[in-house]
Amino acid sequence: MQLFEAPNLKEASKNPIGVWNLEFLWSLVLGAWCFFGAALPPTALAQPASIPPQQDPLMSLMLSQPKIEITTNVTAAAYFDPPIVRPGEQAIYRVTFNALEQTIDWPKKINAPAELQTEPGAHGQIIPMLGNVQMPFTTFNTRVRASSVGDFTIPEFKLQAYGSEVTVPPAQLKVVSNPPSQPFPVLRLAIEISETNLFVGQPIRVRATLPGSAGVFSQGLPPVQFTGQGILVDQAANSQMVTVTSHDGMNMPTYTFQTVLTPVDAGSLTVFAQCFTGNRFSGNLVIPGPVTIPAPPTPFTLLESEPVTLNVQPLPKEGELPGFTGGIGSFSLETPKLGTNELVVGEPVKLAVVVRGDANVARLVSPPPPRVREWQILDSTPAGGITQNTPTGIVSVFQYTLVPLTDEVHETPAIPFSYFDPSHSNYVDLTIPAVPITVHSGEIPADFATLVKTNASVHEDEEPVLSGLAPSPGWTGTLIPLQTSAWFPVVQLIPAGAFIGLWSWDRRRRYFEQHPEVLLRRRARRALHRERRAARRAARAGDASRFASAAVSAMRVACAPHFPAEAKALVGSDVLRVLGPNGDGEVVRRFFNTNDASRFAIGTVDPSGLLRLQPQLEKVLQKLESRL
Amino acid sequence: MRLVLLFLGLWTLDIKLWTLSAASPAELFHDGVTAFRANDYSDAIKAFRQSANLQPAAGTLQDLGLAEWHRGHAGTAILSWEQSLWLDPFNTAARGNLRYARKIAQLEATDLTWYEVVSTWLPANWWAWIAGISFWVAVGMVLLPGIFRLPKASWHQAVAALGLTIFLLSIPAHIGVHTRARIGFVQQKDTPLRLTPTKEAEFVTRLAAGEPARLERQHGQFLLIRTSRSVGWVEREQFTLICRQL
Repeated sequence: MQLFEAPNLKEASKNPIGVWNLEFLWSLVLGAWCFFGAALPPTALAQPASIPPQQDPLMSLMLSQPKIEITTNVTAAAYFDPPIVRPGEQAIYRVTFNALEQTIDWPKKINAPAELQTEPGAHGQIIPMLGNVQMPFTTFNTRVRASSVGDFTIPEFKLQAYGSEVTVPPAQLKVVSNPPSQPFPVLRLAIEISETNLFVGQPIRVRATLPGSAGVFSQGLPPVQFTGQGILVDQAANSQMVTVTSHDGMNMPTYTFQTVLTPVDAGSLTVFAQCFTGNRFSGNLVIPGPVTIPAPPTPFTLLESEPVTLNVQPLPKEGELPGFTGGIGSFSLETPKLGTNELVVGEPVKLAVVVRGDANVARLVSPPPPRVREWQILDSTPAGGITQNTPTGIVSVFQYTLVPLTDEVHETPAIPFSYFDPSHSNYVDLTIPAVPITVHSGEIPADFATLVKTNASVHEDEEPVLSGLAPSPGWTGTLIPLQTSAWFPVVQLIPAGAFIGLWSWDRRRRYFEQHPEVLLRRRARRALHRERRAARRAARAGDASRFASAAVSAMRVACAPHFPAEAKALVGSDVLRVLGPNGDGEVVRRFFNTNDASRFAIGTVDPSGLLRLQPQLEKVLQKLESRL
Repeated sequence: MRLVLLFLGLWTLDIKLWTLSAASPAELFHDGVTAFRANDYSDAIKAFRQSANLQPAAGTLQDLGLAEWHRGHAGTAILSWEQSLWLDPFNTAARGNLRYARKIAQLEATDLTWYEVVSTWLPANWWAWIAGISFWVAVGMVLLPGIFRLPKASWHQAVAALGLTIFLLSIPAHIGVHTRARIGFVQQKDTPLRLTPTKEAEFVTRLAAGEPARLERQHGQFLLIRTSRSVGWVEREQFTLICRQL
């Protein structure tokens, strides 16, 4: 029995949709499953769709917060505190809204009567819980002083809050010479600053007190704020307490708030304190007399102190010492403590430095470690020392990690440190001293070998800084290279020409030394020309004796180089010898005879006949010149 | 004749008036310092530049660089300080300013060859004088004793040898000055370095103000420069040589 029948290929070949079609369909389905399986993310397959997505915790926290009520109509309450004052006494014109401060368009100038001097005061907002919602209250204070007695009213005015118009009701201030006594002392915030002449960066402790404040403060109220330009308030230094103090003969609880202020700008800085207090009263307060004072309609009152002026000077640049990190106060160092006094090269060691001083010691910033070739120093407390409370006071501990890079060191490097003493207005050196140490040689690890190299390069390559102005123009010159200037080669030719001239002169001189006859002939030629010119001049002038003398001299000088003799010593026969047998002997003889006769004869000789012989003389002289 | 005399008179008068109105380099330098101290850097730049044009001086160029730096012109400032060092390589202030500016602007210093480094040891134009004087001293010491028939002395030969040595040693520096004269600095920020000397050319890269480069050649309004990383063309006004030979 044949259970499985082999496919009839012949039939299959006849029917193309048979076996091939079935395999294709199965492959298509399998491929589709693989594709979708790969395309879908594993998490989508792993997580069931029924689990809802978790909400963002931050969003949950925000949603869980009580709602801030900003939908109610904004109302304003305005009143003077106190409502009755003496002339010149300060009152606060206080306007309170039940709206967020940022949404209120408070005018820069209040339309007050001319008798009232107004000055912007404190402003702030508080958002306490009232029922299930947070209700914002914003208060704007204006300091007011009246110059004369009378009733003054700041009229009603309108402003924008939440984009809609809000009416501020009128408020009345009564100024009388003798105001009635208050049933309760007026709450006045006072500010106490230990010192008002300061330096920039000098922290000072500041205190705000509020006498008679029992019941007006609760834990929900924000602390006292110190407001002013150019100051920083250290929030970490806040402290508050309630003590019983005596005021005007009455013991009353006084709220005291302390913190630390740091002026960051030089000049005259004004600072005042402000705080919100709860109101002690509800309902109306009726004062016997003609005035009815409505109690403030708001549960909170923004109090402010009188402003205090700080005179802040910049730190002097003169005398600033190395290692100054802004520390101002009075400090002292304890002996630095080293983790160990014996170590090997590359082994880190801790250096602890304890600084004692006033309250500002907690704000000291450790000096940066020096960069030296032999040490790698890391500052473990770069943002400031570690503050510790000890029985003797607060100390700040600087910690450094030092790694010796060579065994040639015998002490740790001194770390420059200084502070500014405001009481003496000078900088004080507080350099951390060197500590003796023994470093044993050892193999420097690879990473420390790199440090050694880096340290060496850092030591040589100091931080570049921009220079100041040059006090004078300094060296002058030209920015064009001299060799490209046209005149420079010419200047270089001058010594070349001079040397060539000297060399030529020397050669000529040496030549004449070897050939003196050349020089004699040249001199003779020049003398011949000179005498011939003299003879011609004499002939033109008809001076026969001078003509004869010049002619004889000419013949002598022309013949002198041929004889080792002086020209004046030559006689006519010498000239004739030079001229040779075909010369004009007669002419030469006549000139010499006449010349000798005129010089040596006793009688007179008439040389006038010689003038007719000038052409022959010229021929003779030409012949003599040609032989030179 | 009268017209000629009148013309000569007016010309002489004009020259005298121009001389009276023109400030001296020292006065311009003082004006620049005053303007700088009043934080009026524009006027300081004008005054320092006029002074440097009339009489290039190391201090003037140093102050010009400071004023340019305060105006935010890093390229011009670096060029001025380089020119200051060209005149006075011992000016440590200008050298420090260059290091500072290059650190702030993240620029590299000029890559100098060994003979160019030698040429920076002394003011650039000193080398020409040193080469010329030492050569002629050597020549003179060889020639003059013979010419003047002086007895031969050993110091003649020593001076001649010294002169010749100095001359030979100054030759590399001389060449260094010559090649350094082709070094310039990019003046404008993001100066495009072009592939071809045309306005429409493709940008190879952009160069920062103050980047050093060497001038290869010129073509019209474009200069072919070689920086440490690439070669390309920049417009003439975007690049200035130390020695202003363009």
